[in-house]
Amino acid sequence: MADIVRKQLNPAAAPTVRERLQAMDDSAVVTAFLGGEERAFSELVTRYQTRLLNFVYRTIGDREKAEDLVQEVFIRVYRHLHRFDRSKKFSTWVYTIASNLAKNELRNRSRNPLVLFQTVQKNFQDEDRPLQFEDTTSRPDDMYRKRHLREVVEESVAKLPEHHRHVFVLRELEGKSYEEIAEITECNLGTVKSRLNRARNSFAEIIAPYVD
Amino acid sequence: MGYLFPDPHPISMDCREFSEKHLAFVDDTLAGIELVRMQRHTAECERCAKQDAKVRRALLLFRNLPAIEPSTGFTDRLEARLQEAHEHDMLLETTRRNLTRGAVAATVATLASAVMLAYIGSTVYQAEMTRDVVMPPVVAIASEPDLTPITTTTPAIVASASAGLAIWPVALFAEEVPVRFAHSRFELAKLSR
Repeated sequence: MADIVRKQLNPAAAPTVRERLQAMDDSAVVTAFLGGEERAFSELVTRYQTRLLNFVYRTIGDREKAEDLVQEVFIRVYRHLHRFDRSKKFSTWVYTIASNLAKNELRNRSRNPLVLFQTVQKNFQDEDRPLQFEDTTSRPDDMYRKRHLREVVEESVAKLPEHHRHVFVLRELEGKSYEEIAEITECNLGTVKSRLNRARNSFAEIIAPYVD
Repeated sequence: MGYLFPDPHPISMDCREFSEKHLAFVDDTLAGIELVRMQRHTAECERCAKQDAKVRRALLLFRNLPAIEPSTGFTDRLEARLQEAHEHDMLLETTRRNLTRGAVAATVATLASAVMLAYIGSTVYQAEMTRDVVMPPVVAIASEPDLTPITTTTPAIVASASAGLAIWPVALFAEEVPVRFAHSRFELAKLSR
């Protein structure tokens, strides 16, 4: 009781709308937005922008385009949130939209042969062989090798077939469950497992020459 | 009993089974006994052990890729696009509302016209049904019988009458006189035209 009174007397002590939104789960934030709280949408953007950007970027391999697509995801969410079935997970819905946009982008690209992923440099010398990822505290030559490693990993992922890469990124980067991946990619569970197994083995084969 | 029923979980495993269960092995979702069998197989089979290590190392590299962050202008651009989308939606909504209003008005006008036409039609139909059929008057002209005495001077009649011939042809002739006169008048009219 005393706490409530103290909060009423001192409004600064009461949590702000933003703080309250931050404490909510996705479903509650969505409900708040649909109830007219415009700031709830900013909260959803904050929660998902980096995750979606990484997912789309790892899927299509083009950063600028990935940002455009993520913005498109949010615009679609903004427009169609009232149609979202709230008995389902918001994150699955958002990833489904992003996944479909990424698929469309890759499909459009396959029709335009001028835009392709960079080819992997195959012949690293022993001294160029990367050891670990970029670290700003490292020496310049280490940074060079680490940057190379990152590029090699990204390009190796890009070499996976589109439907394998989708499942691979959702699982290994986003940590989605098989069931969620099945829902996002609109495949059955068996297909998801099969694709993921193949993607893992293929990725390991592609990258092996650069890390062995 | 063991010789009657084969062991459903033999401790050894072939490479094919290892490969099939490798996904769950890497995800660490295998049940205890299966996990032990997989571990035992990696200890026994060098080829599978190498493959397992290769996959795990590759996944480690991928999972540790540095995350990229949205560029500095990302939020501003998103806000601008959201604002644009919002305005566009509002415009669409207004247009849709106006169109709906127009459509409702047009529908009401159409219905009113239809009702009016139906009313007019039914009124005319009722009037048509209740009114007596008035036929144009039939004008019949009957010529006045010519009552003038027969003033024929045909010698044949005179002769026959005086000669005491039967009177009936005379009477018959007298009956036909108006017809003959009419015919002759008709002939005269045709000629005068």
